Amino acid sequence: MDKPAAKKILISPVTRIEGHAKITIALKDNGEVDQAQFHVNEFRGFEKFCEGRMYTEMPTITPRICGICPVSHTIASVKACEMIQGIQPTYTANLLRRLMHIGQNISSHALSFFHLSSPDFLLGYDSDPASRNIIGLAEKFPDVALKGIRLRKFGQEISERITGKKIHAMGIVPGGMSYPLTIDNQQALMQWIPEALDAVQTGIRIIKEFHAANADMINSFATSPTMYLGTVGPHGEHELYDGLLRFVDAEGNVLQDQLSLTRYLEFIAERAVEWSYLKYPYYKPLGIEKGIYRVGPLARLNVADRMKTPLAQAEFLQFRALGNGQPVHGTFFYHYARLIETLAGVEEAAMYLQDPEVTGTHLQTLGRWNNAIGIGASEAPRGTLFHHYETDDSGKLTMVNLLIATGQNNPSMNRSITDVARQYVHGADVAEGMLNRVESAIRCYDPCLSCSTHAMGKMPMQIDIVNAGGEVLLSLQR
Amino acid sequence: MPIITVYINGQKILTESGVTILEVCKANNIPMLTLCHLKGLHDIGACRLCLVEIEGVNRLLSGCTTQVADNMIIRTDTDRIKRYQRITVELFFAERNHVCAVCVANGNCELQQAGYAVGLDHIRYPFLYPECNVDTSHPWFVMDHNRCIMCTRCVRVCTQVEGAGNWGVMNRGHDVRIISDFNTPWGESITCTDCGKCVHACPTGAIWPKAVAQGQLTKYPEMIGELVEKRKLLQ
Repeated sequence: MDKPAAKKILISPVTRIEGHAKITIALKDNGEVDQAQFHVNEFRGFEKFCEGRMYTEMPTITPRICGICPVSHTIASVKACEMIQGIQPTYTANLLRRLMHIGQNISSHALSFFHLSSPDFLLGYDSDPASRNIIGLAEKFPDVALKGIRLRKFGQEISERITGKKIHAMGIVPGGMSYPLTIDNQQALMQWIPEALDAVQTGIRIIKEFHAANADMINSFATSPTMYLGTVGPHGEHELYDGLLRFVDAEGNVLQDQLSLTRYLEFIAERAVEWSYLKYPYYKPLGIEKGIYRVGPLARLNVADRMKTPLAQAEFLQFRALGNGQPVHGTFFYHYARLIETLAGVEEAAMYLQDPEVTGTHLQTLGRWNNAIGIGASEAPRGTLFHHYETDDSGKLTMVNLLIATGQNNPSMNRSITDVARQYVHGADVAEGMLNRVESAIRCYDPCLSCSTHAMGKMPMQIDIVNAGGEVLLSLQR
Repeated sequence: MPIITVYINGQKILTESGVTILEVCKANNIPMLTLCHLKGLHDIGACRLCLVEIEGVNRLLSGCTTQVADNMIIRTDTDRIKRYQRITVELFFAERNHVCAVCVANGNCELQQAGYAVGLDHIRYPFLYPECNVDTSHPWFVMDHNRCIMCTRCVRVCTQVEGAGNWGVMNRGHDVRIISDFNTPWGESITCTDCGKCVHACPTGAIWPKAVAQGQLTKYPEMIGELVEKRKLLQ
């Protein structure tokens, strides 16, 4: 019998993620999966074209990287600027920034769970791809879809109530804020809290029911252990806005704790790969093979000792129990972690809104160029985000390094899709629902590739099966 | 000055002779787009936004540099003028690197306002994307040539009001640039008095103080005209 030719399956574009990418699944001669690769075929170039600008412009330029996490970029950027100037923001400014950051996280997490991922859970992985999206969800589960849409609206309204803009929020400036929160807007936001809590708890109920009904699938879905990186507060608590870095290994041992973000280059190295515009970052002391680490909601809950608010803490304990004393490695649990963070966000928003200083008017400290290097970080919805600027002595940028969360998850995303492809793909004759499962492994990470494009499951899926000689044997399009 | 009669957009107006069409329009609340004009500075008709049609004259003339004459029939609102104004504003945006969304002057920019005024929703000309320097050498101010429209208000305010003569112009065509002294970095200028009048005179985000972030830039160009008037009182 002739030996079957080695083949390649191409999923392009990957749908229901933010941005454009494709997946190649390379098959062995026997038809089983050799490896899968996640290609990001966009190039943005922000690091290069920001060179030569004044460092003070970066908090305005960098939010344009992303329409979903602009506040995280702005916060990382202003922190880098504040290091250059050697100043600290005021107490009220910190409260307003925290509120805006929480609002953005709620909005992003609601988008990820309700709009992009929940169609798989509620409509089914094998349902018709044409309606496996938020529109299809709204037809069959209008109550859930509406709650998701309203929760996202609440997140965006926090920025709007403070700065007048929902997206690409202005007003976060080196030293503080440009705009105060009025008492009317404070009260308007407080009225959202009960509805937002209800929406998050609906999401948590959906994911728990899906866990219970699909335990076998979830417990074997891309479970390769990795290290984790996240930001924690001074007492090891979950933290998104301020704090220090913590690395834990796959067994949950803390490798680095209360690490200043200015030392990130000592612990994180990057390597470029020829088949993607996303670099391959890794934990430097262990090298590229053993140093794969993850960031984002799963990582933050794996590195934290506790949450700051009671409802989120109760869920956090249930989440950590899944790992039996070790980190929770199942990639599927990104969704659960994301919802726990959303719950914490709504509770924390209520906490900050009730602070008497939140409507204060001492908003900004003033500074000028004092240091040539500025490094800032924040926990973006998808993970730890670093901004590193170097300037000449007039404040003009000579070097910009932006280490984006999705980039840090790149090695583990490749590992996850390889795991899932090996589990579900056997030979080139693959059902669409199986390929959707491979895509969904990527969707767990909620990657933000262009950080500006919003995909909604409407794009066509193309699958090319190619033999070892590069000849296309079969081309499928959805 | 003798009183003369002019007709602007069909409206009969009595005015002094020796004044410009722009001045008459302003005095009679007739809208006229301008960018290079700034009260207190000599007009040069550089931006071509205040073009007017004058009966009996084949070509369009700039309202800021054309004096009224008796029985002059002027139109400022024809389709032809509006078409030329739109073209002119589009060319401003295409000529250098204007990105309003990330500009320090966003929401406080005369070029942006001109864009709104002519209904600019897209630009039909290829962007030139010239490589322009950002001069950050001055301790307080930045000169960003990407956002300069060559109105020369900075050059004129520095020479005609401050009397320092720091700013000048070099080259021609697309290569034309505002320069400090003999094309030295602004921070090394021996003539600049650090007065900041050029910051207020600049209609865009080309000259701005280092200390401000987006949304915080406030310019007060009217200050130049007020200053000139106050000096006249002292003479």
